[in-house]
Amino acid sequence: MSALPEYRTRVILEGEGVPVVQGIFLETGSAPPDALPGTPVYLKAQIPGATSRKAQGLVRRVDSIDDIPIELKAIEQAADGAMEGILIASGLDIIKEYYAACTLDFGSEERLPGGVLVFSAEGGSGVEERSGSLVSIPFLLIAPPSPGDIMDALPSSVPEASAESLASLLHGMIGTFLKYRLTVLEANPVGLLADGSVTVVDCRAEFEKSAVRKGDRDLFITPGSKGSADLTPLERKVAAINAADPSGTGFFRQNREVPPAGALRVATNLCGGGGKMLWEMTTGYRPSIFTMNESDTSGGLSAFKSCRILKVILSQEGAQVLILTGSGMAFQNQHHLAAAVWKALRESPTPLPCLLRFGGTDENRARELFERVSGSLPVQVRTYPAEIFPNAMADDLEVIALSEALSVDPPPPAQGEPFLTVEVPPGRIFFYPELWPFEESPPSVTACPTGFLKWEDGTLSVDTEARCIGCLMCECAALLDGNSEIRIELDMPEEVD
Amino acid sequence: MAGILKHLAGIETPETLVFGITGRQGRSKSRLMKKYGTHIIAGCTPGKGGQEIDGVPVFNSAAEAVEAFPRLNTAVLFVPAGAVKKAAMDAIDAGLAFLVLAADGVPVHDEIILKEYAATRDTVYLGPNTVGLLDTDGYLFGLIGGSATWAKRNYLPGKVGVISRSGGLSQLLGAFHCRPDLPGLRSDGSFGPLWGDDFPGVSAVVCVGGDPVPGVSILDAARAFEKDPRTEVIAVYGETGTTQENDLARAVTAGEISKPIVVFLGGKFTQAGVAQSHAGAMIRNKEESWGAKKEALETAGITVVERPDAVFGAVLGKLD
Repeated sequence: MSALPEYRTRVILEGEGVPVVQGIFLETGSAPPDALPGTPVYLKAQIPGATSRKAQGLVRRVDSIDDIPIELKAIEQAADGAMEGILIASGLDIIKEYYAACTLDFGSEERLPGGVLVFSAEGGSGVEERSGSLVSIPFLLIAPPSPGDIMDALPSSVPEASAESLASLLHGMIGTFLKYRLTVLEANPVGLLADGSVTVVDCRAEFEKSAVRKGDRDLFITPGSKGSADLTPLERKVAAINAADPSGTGFFRQNREVPPAGALRVATNLCGGGGKMLWEMTTGYRPSIFTMNESDTSGGLSAFKSCRILKVILSQEGAQVLILTGSGMAFQNQHHLAAAVWKALRESPTPLPCLLRFGGTDENRARELFERVSGSLPVQVRTYPAEIFPNAMADDLEVIALSEALSVDPPPPAQGEPFLTVEVPPGRIFFYPELWPFEESPPSVTACPTGFLKWEDGTLSVDTEARCIGCLMCECAALLDGNSEIRIELDMPEEVD
Repeated sequence: MAGILKHLAGIETPETLVFGITGRQGRSKSRLMKKYGTHIIAGCTPGKGGQEIDGVPVFNSAAEAVEAFPRLNTAVLFVPAGAVKKAAMDAIDAGLAFLVLAADGVPVHDEIILKEYAATRDTVYLGPNTVGLLDTDGYLFGLIGGSATWAKRNYLPGKVGVISRSGGLSQLLGAFHCRPDLPGLRSDGSFGPLWGDDFPGVSAVVCVGGDPVPGVSILDAARAFEKDPRTEVIAVYGETGTTQENDLARAVTAGEISKPIVVFLGGKFTQAGVAQSHAGAMIRNKEESWGAKKEALETAGITVVERPDAVFGAVLGKLD
């Protein structure tokens, strides 16, 4: 889940008519305001997902406008570049603090899923430890409660005079929660004022990126926010690959932990959730294995994209061996994936010895293909049938990791102008007619599974009704059965600082 | 051609509508399904009514399709995640009894709303985030097998009912029960071929999907296999997150399910609150943890295995 900081949560609450304490948002680096809504004010660093801000010096009370510049600077230093800005919120005379939150209940056999409004008349401080004071009001998302329903459910300790305005505020919170499809919306505290009115003093929200509607993206997803700044250079490369070719899943995340001394450092290409789970069930029993990265390449991505991501996985500093496995029964053509692995190993400046498990559609073709191309690879590779699971493959990790590199030169870069540039999935096809000066169709063309590449009167052309699916079969066939007459160039993102 | 759908959704002969048939995935998976034997008689893409895709007429809405073909009773949705809720409600309102929602990444609010909406109506749905359902009686919804040829060769009629929260492991648990000479962990602890050509085979494979609020749950699918006369053993891939395995254990304890069950339970090392590849695998409370699920399942008399290659020997033991 992604987190929405207070200043942005306030915007969506106000949009639904929920009263929030007066405040001014200052972007990081902008000048202090000339005037304040009154004093005292509270300066609050705005960091998505941050907790315990007071204890970290990220929330400060200021009683005079003259002190603002110094305190702003102090907060900026404490935030250490992580914040989006500072919220200057008015201080209020609160006679009672309440806690309120909306969350989701995923349901079970006994009960339908839905939303839950959680309320405490005892305030929000330490609310996690005081579950007994919480009132839960479950509701259906398709039939949320009315202000009257909410008022009826409020505990008797809420003063009668403020019950109506509190119910209205909570109703507005539910409206906000539903409108933006939030997973959590918390107001902590909601302040009861002397005049009986209530207002949200502090708030935050959590959301799924997939639930953010197009028109709301600016509000929810800040460019350059902490999320993207946290990426490693290699993760940013994969992000760039995904941006250029959004097909399928191309997830890659490096392990931030330091490998224990003597641990075997394993780069992984895991395909699908099942593959990830099988690997986790394997390594959980083996503390001597240090998994360098998480990855998931699945969901119908092309071999072009698999190859690019594999090159990134291979380039992890310190990695000793690559393991590739899915659940063992993939939907993607496994021989296309095999071609991607072969090309990545062949062209990568940092190839790794590998354990490869192909399982699923055309798995036998995948293994056969690998056996045929293995002589062109600079590293030792073992392939496994789907019946051999990662828990058994792991027994071979150390031997293959310590195997010697083979003396095979990488292929030279493609020369000349490409025959064709494919836009989706992105790649450049080079054809060298001098290497195929024959009338009959070259193996690289007959290998094209979609009929995109055509051979007419001794000349290469394309069928515009068909499409290139980026499977690399042409290049494999050119190497194995032809004269290397076709080469595919897959550009990698530039090095990212 | 009744199969598991008779027990899951009361359908004797599935007649199918494909949402998104004009898109790339919808078109290619429709070909797969038709080639396998599924009766696809209509397609649906708003704004593209009147077209034909591979001889299948396309309509603007489910209601229009049902009006033209009143025998329609099932639908497979190949629509983007953001469009699933609306399309599924359209199919529910049109009276279709069984839906398969293939898309990954459906917002959880939409999943909950769909569950609430379907609860008072006569529609059962599989997914979201599912590879679908395959019945060896001759129909397939979704993308199991990757190709019809592969699916026909690898899923052969037999005695095992497969339920899984993972797409890949749905395929694997189904196909490996149909693979001659499959090596695996035997009951005596040795490793080797479990059977020769007399593999147990499968009745059906039901992928309930990897999301936190599935339509058909593991228990719903187990109830269907309980009634299915072909099924003698139920093989399940379960994992952390959601209450599905806990609900299954309670139903077995209550005597609602009497057929033997083997569960390969993933997520032993999954930490609470950490996002997983399957959105539904995140542990939100103690009941959803691996340990709690294992204990609940075993207390109910269900066999739990921790290694994928131990599933098949355990199933064989139940068949003996």
